[in-house]
Amino acid sequence: MDYFLYYGCSLEGGGVHYMISAEAVAKGLGINFHEIEDWNCCGASIAYIGGTEMQSIVLNARNLALAEAQGGYDIVAPCSSCYIMLNKVNRELQAHPKLMEQVNGILAEGGLKYSGKLRVRHILDLLYNDVGVEKIKAAVKKPLTGVKVAAYYGCQTTRPFGEYDSCENPHTQDEILAALGAEVVEFGHRVKCCGSGIFLTEIDKCAYLVKDIIESAAAGGAQIISTACPMCQMNLEIYQQRVNAITGANLNMPVVFVTQLMALAFGADKDSAAALNRLVVPAGPALQAVGA
Amino acid sequence: MDYNQTFANEVYEKVDSGAEIKVCMQCGVCGATCPLRGEMKYGPRQIWSLIRAGRRDEVLNNPDIMLCTSCYTCKVRCPRGVPIMEVMHGLAHYALAQGIVPRAETAKFGKAFWEGIYDTGRVDEAVVPIKYCLQDGLVAGLKKSLGMMDIGLALMKAKRMKPKMFIPPNIFIPGVHKIKGVKQLQRMLDKAAAIDAAKEA
Repeated sequence: MDYFLYYGCSLEGGGVHYMISAEAVAKGLGINFHEIEDWNCCGASIAYIGGTEMQSIVLNARNLALAEAQGGYDIVAPCSSCYIMLNKVNRELQAHPKLMEQVNGILAEGGLKYSGKLRVRHILDLLYNDVGVEKIKAAVKKPLTGVKVAAYYGCQTTRPFGEYDSCENPHTQDEILAALGAEVVEFGHRVKCCGSGIFLTEIDKCAYLVKDIIESAAAGGAQIISTACPMCQMNLEIYQQRVNAITGANLNMPVVFVTQLMALAFGADKDSAAALNRLVVPAGPALQAVGA
Repeated sequence: MDYNQTFANEVYEKVDSGAEIKVCMQCGVCGATCPLRGEMKYGPRQIWSLIRAGRRDEVLNNPDIMLCTSCYTCKVRCPRGVPIMEVMHGLAHYALAQGIVPRAETAKFGKAFWEGIYDTGRVDEAVVPIKYCLQDGLVAGLKKSLGMMDIGLALMKAKRMKPKMFIPPNIFIPGVHKIKGVKQLQRMLDKAAAIDAAKEA
């Protein structure tokens, strides 16, 4: 199975543990990830502040054109924001030939052209639909028995398109975690927003979003939160002390990527593959049952 | 109340996705689903009403138009299919283009973020916060970045951020990665901006 892995800026920085663990998972499942050579940032959800609408389209069209020229595999974006931006622009270009023509006129500045042949997919889509729960189950060497996990989806992992999972009541991540042997807990806030790209600059308001999400997971008995978005992972994890200071909460909840738990369950090394050493809130206590 | 269509027409014609609000039936599902509605004076439904009522200054100066987390809940649930998030982004972008700053901190962060993309082709999570802070000036900026130091250090300790040196306004010391096609990308972005400028004029 060959795919382009669109890394996105987060996976080169604060979400590097997503990339490390995604590559370990790919190895365990026979997936070949190729990098789109010379990819650029997707603009994410705050591109509108500094950039115009057409600039935002062009950023993503350039990546699509590069991928088409470099092999044309499906583009898999682990970052939900990258997934939405690339996907949104891809769908608009495919649906509007006039826009495609206009954008190709701009891409010509770099000798590029996009014909609209690609598919953009989230990594949960690939894991659930192309690999499948049965194959994931078969790859498990160290089941996560006794680990109580909350499956957090947040916003852009499924919204607005709902292409591979329900916007309102998603289940793909829950099923993947269950296939690892973990106990997936009831979690009312699973599709609530964490504050996304404005979390840091509007923290006085967004802190309450994070407080409610983590407290909802804890109320269901979760010892750890699993997510499939680097923005969610960062917002939920690294600011917990600040959220406590602002809201009076008492949060201390490890937040990991679903791929980290997969790599661990596949028997890969907890640090070099599952990247548990890259966490700000240690996951050790929550994963004690499985010797991590 | 005196209804004046001038501003509504301005929004329909010049704001990205602005014409989409014509089909709004004022049900209020958008505000009811918004995670930050409790922090806003007006939700999207009321902002559309103000647009229809011609209240230009009140809309463009309203900090609520820039408090969108981009979670798409309103867009998914709107029974009339209004891309509410896109309209909200369009309004904030339009206000900023008029020199109005609905939310100062988010505007500064967004500017630093966009400059990172334009200058290098990618966003460096170690550089954007520094560029964000330094918009307050050197002294206030350094103070602000010291206030964020705990987060930076925690990320560096977890090997999720590399220390970066940075000197304003735009001179980087080694370690900042530019994509190979950055010049072509900039030409593309300039051309795209010219097309949008013609639309907004």
